[in-house]
Amino acid sequence: MLVTLLKMAWRNLFRRRLRTVLTLAGVSVAVAALCSLLSFQQGYQNGMKGELERLGAHVLVVPKGCPYDAASIALHGASWPCYLKEAYLTQVKRTEGVQTAAPVLMNANYTESGEAIVTLGVTPEILAVKKNWLIAGAFPTSNGEVLVGSAFAKKHNLVIGQTFDLPGSAGISLKVCGTLAPTQGADDTYLHLTLADAQRLMKRPGELTHILVRLSDPNEMEGVVGALRACEAGMEMNIVPLSHLFNTIQELVNSMRLLLGSVALIALFVAGAAVSNTVMMAVSERVREIGVLRAVGASKGDVFALILLETLMLCLIAGVIGCLASAVFAPFIEFWLRNRLPFSPTDTLVKPSLTLSLFCLLLTGIFGAIAGMLPSWRAAKLVPALSMK
Amino acid sequence: MKSVDNVVLRAESLTKIYRRGVEEVRALDGVTFSIEEGEFVSIVGQSGSGKTTLLNLIGCMDTPTSGTIEIDGHETSRLSDRQSTRLRSEKIGFVFQHFGLIPTLSVEENIMLPTLFARRAAKGKASELLEQVGLSHRHKHRPHELSGGEMQRVAIARALINSPALLLADEPTGNLDSTNGEAILRLFTDLNRAGLTIIVVTHNPALADAAHRQLNLQDGHLLLESQL
Ligand SMILES: Nc1ncnc2c1ncn2[C@@H]1O[C@H](COP(=O)(O)OP(=O)(O)OP(=O)(O)O)[C@@H](O)[C@H]1O
Ligand SMILES: [Mg+2]
Repeated sequence: MLVTLLKMAWRNLFRRRLRTVLTLAGVSVAVAALCSLLSFQQGYQNGMKGELERLGAHVLVVPKGCPYDAASIALHGASWPCYLKEAYLTQVKRTEGVQTAAPVLMNANYTESGEAIVTLGVTPEILAVKKNWLIAGAFPTSNGEVLVGSAFAKKHNLVIGQTFDLPGSAGISLKVCGTLAPTQGADDTYLHLTLADAQRLMKRPGELTHILVRLSDPNEMEGVVGALRACEAGMEMNIVPLSHLFNTIQELVNSMRLLLGSVALIALFVAGAAVSNTVMMAVSERVREIGVLRAVGASKGDVFALILLETLMLCLIAGVIGCLASAVFAPFIEFWLRNRLPFSPTDTLVKPSLTLSLFCLLLTGIFGAIAGMLPSWRAAKLVPALSMK
Repeated sequence: MKSVDNVVLRAESLTKIYRRGVEEVRALDGVTFSIEEGEFVSIVGQSGSGKTTLLNLIGCMDTPTSGTIEIDGHETSRLSDRQSTRLRSEKIGFVFQHFGLIPTLSVEENIMLPTLFARRAAKGKASELLEQVGLSHRHKHRPHELSGGEMQRVAIARALINSPALLLADEPTGNLDSTNGEAILRLFTDLNRAGLTIIVVTHNPALADAAHRQLNLQDGHLLLESQL
């Protein structure tokens, strides 16, 4: 029974090829938009989470200024417009609830080819923050020694023990004392020096760009942040709780998400209307044929099922095409989004996934079923006497 | 109303009024007749006299404005859609002037279609019927690959698959040339000889004469033998 109905519904789709193809195209585009949006949604959230985990800190202490900007610089590596006094570090460390406070002096130089060379002055305290780090060789302990991120080492063909000239800054020669296993984050492109060495090379003695703070208990966030703000140097520092920052950035991205979401939703509604219309036309072309089906024993339910099946098939084919298209175009959408987002994590933003595709297919099926109701009901109402016309 | 054993169809004062806005069309007006099992009856009359309307009522495709119909002893003029669908499926086979084959299905699938809706299996019956109408070699073909005569034979096979009590045909030779029309006529005669009750609406004199009896319609009225 079902097999023949399926066969009929399937073949009916090919009776008006051009019309079917046009409707398929419309629905596919809508599904692709929806699927891309959802995978972006998921990718962005996961990317932000991963970014924060890799940063290892619960709280970021940055110089007064725009906290989002400073946090973004800390996450992605660039030169800083303002600095913190190293002396504040003691106060941060003394604050109750602070487990580790790792001082960082960050700087970026650009080579002639436009590559950003990001150097960070750090102390061994950073190791208590970056729990995911795997170091081959040694952590830098004296001037001229550098711990190289995996991507940088690969790009410049560096091995442990090798000496190289720092690209983008004349006359600085560094010796690779260790390399960092890939972290999938921005650390992979960084060069880590000792804090003292970095301060000397950048001519910023006694200064920091930021402090990475890990709490004894991340649930005590509010209290510790309050205490940090209240300390003597509190006026000179911006205390950025990263989980809040995470939410704030999400909110910044929400407007973009809302826009894209509305577009996808409108597209889906338009596609639904197009499907309804297509199937309605198919029904009105086949009035006599449907009458014949009724004459030879098809019930209203059989006719309803047949037309609904046809609609569902149309939508599901379009759904599959849409999901595939969204997977194929993911890199382009990724590129487009990256250029427009105020902040984007290093992880892939638009990552096609099977679960998400299946979810989109389910949604397409539900939309298809709704779009198919009206034409199916119209068809079921056709009287058998129409077969005689 | 008493029902005699061998009466398959009894129509009593059948009236059908179509309403188009304020205008009323009396397509049938007080038609009474009965048909016995194994009869071959033709319905003739001018265009617009109500032949198709009558066939629709007999075939449970429409309900009369007033009057009653009995098929196999069951009153059928006031059935619900579900009940009349079931009755069509079990008791009635239809043959149309336009053949009414489903273009997306093969000859064999078309013939099997009524069994599908009746939720029965009848694979063997289909090939048997195909052989009977002389189209075994065409079972995989699509309708558009067949001639008109072949299509009508397929349609007849489809009408017979659920072993109906009544075969109803509206102008079955209307779209065929005389040779193919004769083939259909012969098929009907053979089927009737084998015991099938057939009611056929036709303008084809040969087909009308082949029937045992003619019902003559004029403006919705059944003419008596004496009026012919
Ligand atoms: N659905 C309908 N609505 C309104 N009037 C109808 C309808 N069907 C038939 N009629 C009218 O009823 C009358 C009888 O029509 P019917 O189709 O039964 O004639 P017929 O004898 O089959 O004619 P033909 O030989 O041309 O097929 C005609 O006047 C027709 O216009
Ligand atoms: Mg007619």
